[in-house]
Amino acid sequence: MIELKSDQLVFTFPEVHPQAKLSISFQRTLRIPDDDNTYPLPPGLGEFPLRHVDDFAESVSAQWLKRGGVMLPMYQSEAMWLNFDSEFVDGHDAAYPFAIKIAAGKQCAVSGQAWQNGLRRESQDYLVVPEQPWLDGFVVEKGLIRQFVAMPLGSGYSAEEQITGNAEYGGLQIAVCPMKRDVFERRFPKRREVGRSRSIIMSELHCKVAPDMGLAPGGMMRQEVYDDPYDFTDWQTAVSSRCFVHLCNSMVWQSITNSPPPHPAPTAKSYSQAGLPWFEYYDDSKSALNGSGVLAQLQSIAQKSAAKGEVVLPENATATPEKIVEYRTGLRQGQVREGNF
Amino acid sequence: MSSFGDHLRKLREQRRADDASFSVRQLAVRVGVEPSYLSKVERGQQPPPSEKTILAIAAELGEDPDVLLALAGKVSGDLQEVILRRPQLFAELIRQLKDMPDHAVLRIVREVRDGEW
Repeated sequence: MIELKSDQLVFTFPEVHPQAKLSISFQRTLRIPDDDNTYPLPPGLGEFPLRHVDDFAESVSAQWLKRGGVMLPMYQSEAMWLNFDSEFVDGHDAAYPFAIKIAAGKQCAVSGQAWQNGLRRESQDYLVVPEQPWLDGFVVEKGLIRQFVAMPLGSGYSAEEQITGNAEYGGLQIAVCPMKRDVFERRFPKRREVGRSRSIIMSELHCKVAPDMGLAPGGMMRQEVYDDPYDFTDWQTAVSSRCFVHLCNSMVWQSITNSPPPHPAPTAKSYSQAGLPWFEYYDDSKSALNGSGVLAQLQSIAQKSAAKGEVVLPENATATPEKIVEYRTGLRQGQVREGNF
Repeated sequence: MSSFGDHLRKLREQRRADDASFSVRQLAVRVGVEPSYLSKVERGQQPPPSEKTILAIAAELGEDPDVLLALAGKVSGDLQEVILRRPQLFAELIRQLKDMPDHAVLRIVREVRDGEW
């Protein structure tokens, strides 16, 4: 079942394991420049507020009610990343593994394929937690993603509209599938996991208006999405849970919920100039997926707006991240890492 | 109180079939009690242990702590605290819920609803 607790989606599977518990939060972040550079991972600026759509049945569209789920507010051109937190299972000293499908406008953010219930191993259309702590965007190439940036649905920029030609769904779709209990107990007799976090920093700036939002590909950043290290049969595919996350324009949010949306994030340039940290995450024991040919063909918002002769994004000058915090995992004890040279 | 002991022994034996570290002796050491005491609890010759020990046993066996506590006739400290804040309300609520089917109870704990996409 899925519950909403403290602005997080909490997936539990008591029928599989009493401690099979995964929390997903939606982190506000700065929009990385959509230029020719690739950037490290931007920070977390706090969680987006989440609400049940059913609690605002009189104010939201019939379409949203039909799809169920939750909603969160985003400004046009605001960016987000997803944080995955799997519960540490006491008796085993390991976090419970989950396979997670993430789609934007019902187009898979990992494979670029149209939404299908269930998991696909070839080509992999899910990511594996706790191995994958975060996802910041569409997987376009091996080790490279394009940031999730909110754009009004119907404006032609979202991944959904670029792939299907239609502005039908918008939002984010998530499905979670736990590992089978017997497999978990066999694979994780004893082990300890080290926590990771990307700093939470508050800030402010400006806004704009439109109705439903979809996620469009923004600037490029370095993030690997890992190949499933387990056997496909390890997943308890019969008991997955799924949730529709509606993205609501921040101005509309205020009129629906009567509560203010968070302030927009600072620019990448001003953030960097303030000497605040960016992040890199490597797992030397894992191999990264190659990325999706479908997603690689998407035009970024800057590319598309230049082709259309429009100016849709607030100015976002090239940034020079200087303080980069590196998280590295997967090295055996005493192993020396071979770098790039 | 043998239902707690029976249940505990059954769970432990199931785990021991795959993993020898779930013998009475080794489990007792890990949860911080004497093996002879744990053995007596399993045979119903001693009442169930403290909440702290039950929580440790639940964690070792990968079982739901609330289920083990309930079988031991106990309510976890955090739940007691919640009930004590509004005892009449929660007593009434629990009586109302007792015959409700699981799906109706889950609706009360605010499951996020999946719809038609």
